[in-house]
Amino acid sequence: MQRSSPPSSDPSAAKAGPRGPVLELRDLVTRFPGDDGPLSIVDGVSLSVASGETLAVVGESGSGKTMTFLSAIGLIPPPGRVTSGQVLLEGTDLLTHTPEQLRAVRGERISMVFQDPLTGLNPVFTIGEQIVEVLRAHRKLSRAEARKKAIELLERVQIPDPGRRVDDYPHQLSGGMRQRVLIAMAISLDPSVLIADEPTTALDVTVQAQVLELLAELREESGMAMVLITHDLGLVARHADRVAVMYAGRVVEQGSAKAVFEQTAHPYTLSLFRGVPSLDTDTAQDLIEIEGQPPDPAFLPPGCAFEPRCFLGQGRASCQATRPGLQPTLGTEHQTACLHSAELTATRARA
Amino acid sequence: MAGYLGRTLVQLVATLVGIVTVAFFLMRAIPGDPALYMLGDFATEEAVAALRSRLGLDLPVYQQYLVFMERALTGDLGRSVVTGQPALAEMLSALPWSLSLAVAGLAVAVILGVPLGILSAIKQGTWVDMTIMLVALMGISFPVFWVGLVAVLFLSHHAGLFPALGAATGGGFWTQIHHLTLPALVLGLSVAAYIARLTRSAMLEVLGQDYIRVAHAMGVPEPRIFFRLALRNAFIPILAVIGVTFAWALGNAILVEVVFSRPGLGSTVLKAVLARDYQLVQAGVLVLATGVVLINATLNVLYGVIDPRMRSD
Repeated sequence: MQRSSPPSSDPSAAKAGPRGPVLELRDLVTRFPGDDGPLSIVDGVSLSVASGETLAVVGESGSGKTMTFLSAIGLIPPPGRVTSGQVLLEGTDLLTHTPEQLRAVRGERISMVFQDPLTGLNPVFTIGEQIVEVLRAHRKLSRAEARKKAIELLERVQIPDPGRRVDDYPHQLSGGMRQRVLIAMAISLDPSVLIADEPTTALDVTVQAQVLELLAELREESGMAMVLITHDLGLVARHADRVAVMYAGRVVEQGSAKAVFEQTAHPYTLSLFRGVPSLDTDTAQDLIEIEGQPPDPAFLPPGCAFEPRCFLGQGRASCQATRPGLQPTLGTEHQTACLHSAELTATRARA
Repeated sequence: MAGYLGRTLVQLVATLVGIVTVAFFLMRAIPGDPALYMLGDFATEEAVAALRSRLGLDLPVYQQYLVFMERALTGDLGRSVVTGQPALAEMLSALPWSLSLAVAGLAVAVILGVPLGILSAIKQGTWVDMTIMLVALMGISFPVFWVGLVAVLFLSHHAGLFPALGAATGGGFWTQIHHLTLPALVLGLSVAAYIARLTRSAMLEVLGQDYIRVAHAMGVPEPRIFFRLALRNAFIPILAVIGVTFAWALGNAILVEVVFSRPGLGSTVLKAVLARDYQLVQAGVLVLATGVVLINATLNVLYGVIDPRMRSD
């Protein structure tokens, strides 16, 4: 008997086909009240990530990376408020959701792992109870079923002896184990998007690699989209498909990881790269920190926010006068918000 | 857990021995002679000396202490020099009155204070929060005896809802509860105010923790976050205060007992001190201290139940 043609839900076909974005932020603005009027902490951010893809969001602390995604899932701490834009999750705008609808989406379809696993787990409940709490917030499960699922999840994040560990309290686990538990909670309902906010910053170097590997495996298995918020460019190179670089609440460069690494089109990105020690660096000259501090949102320069620290534009009248928007470079999806990015490309061509 | 319970038990016994010892020497340090008090101002020196030797008061203090401790271990705390009744039995008969008042007062405090504190924390910065905190501040500021008098005036004298005096010592259960209500309210209100403020700050601290943000990010509904995930953490400091206030409530029961003319430990101990009735005072101190120490031991065990970190050695 001949097999009929495969059904359209063949996973390999779905994977190979063109994928629309799962999560798309459009022109998102989040404001906090300041002494002289509202401050835009997130200032017109547009980003997107497709299923099975990892988008790295890079920038120094205070650049608005975390705030952008807290805004997206409705967890911006008061008195902050999302004032405009859209957050499209599989086509529906989360900003039009009621708080209860938004709650139902969180954890179920979009989930988040935070930076510090030591404080991320509730000290007075077992890790099993905490995973069960998440499962039962979204599914009608009996306690026994939920517990069984919790053990499966612990196994999935490679916690040894999950049947016994499920009754452990957080203080009985190491930092790396706790982050695995938090990851287990975050993926417990098979979300379409996982936001990992500096998931390894608080961990030992040896554990960092394991946790990242786990995240990569989970993404591979489930085909979810992943947003990796980080300031570690080493991670970006290894794990990201696409990169968005943020500065002062805006995206200043974005594109495929390859394009951003090889044809860096924003001086800020280039400065970040120079801050990364690498084995093939010949001279100490390449290891310069970016001078100065990220700008205070209350005192943003009128022109390009990076101009005062920029090796290319510092003091230039054009940079001080206009704040550049994102523009495509060389007709690709690689975009940069720099008036003089052509000079960067030229410099590299000569070198 | 067994080691934890064992430590708690050892602490309990050591504390009791310490308290009884201190009480013994303090009483001896207060000027005044029970023999003189009993025989009156016109007693002969011989009669006083005879009574002192019969009561063992002529022995050096350390010997009196050894005799006292030896008897105390067998549960014999001597007889009241005033009434001639066994001192321990007299105190124990007063205990239920004070205990019921303290427990009822504390129940009022917890039942009012904890929910108001939670509400205040959840509605932080709103008029609900401000109203609750203003009332709580007033509750803390007014002294117990004044609140007692005002309560008697309005709830008892004007409204006639509750009896103003007495404990209905011979009455049935519900009559006694009826008599207990007003004193318990008076005792409980100021503690309720304190517990409300404490609950609020404990909840606010917990609600700012990372694990609460994680719970929000995982879509756990707010009622579950507030009343389960956050409250169990916030309850650790609340429990500590309940322990302290129980001791406070037993002590303040004296004031409330006087205002409402109720029998109890407070009034019995007060009378005994004035009469230099050593045996009765010692029995009273022992009973009060045992009560407080037992409560604290119970709380220690409860800490262990609530906070797993306390259990691990």
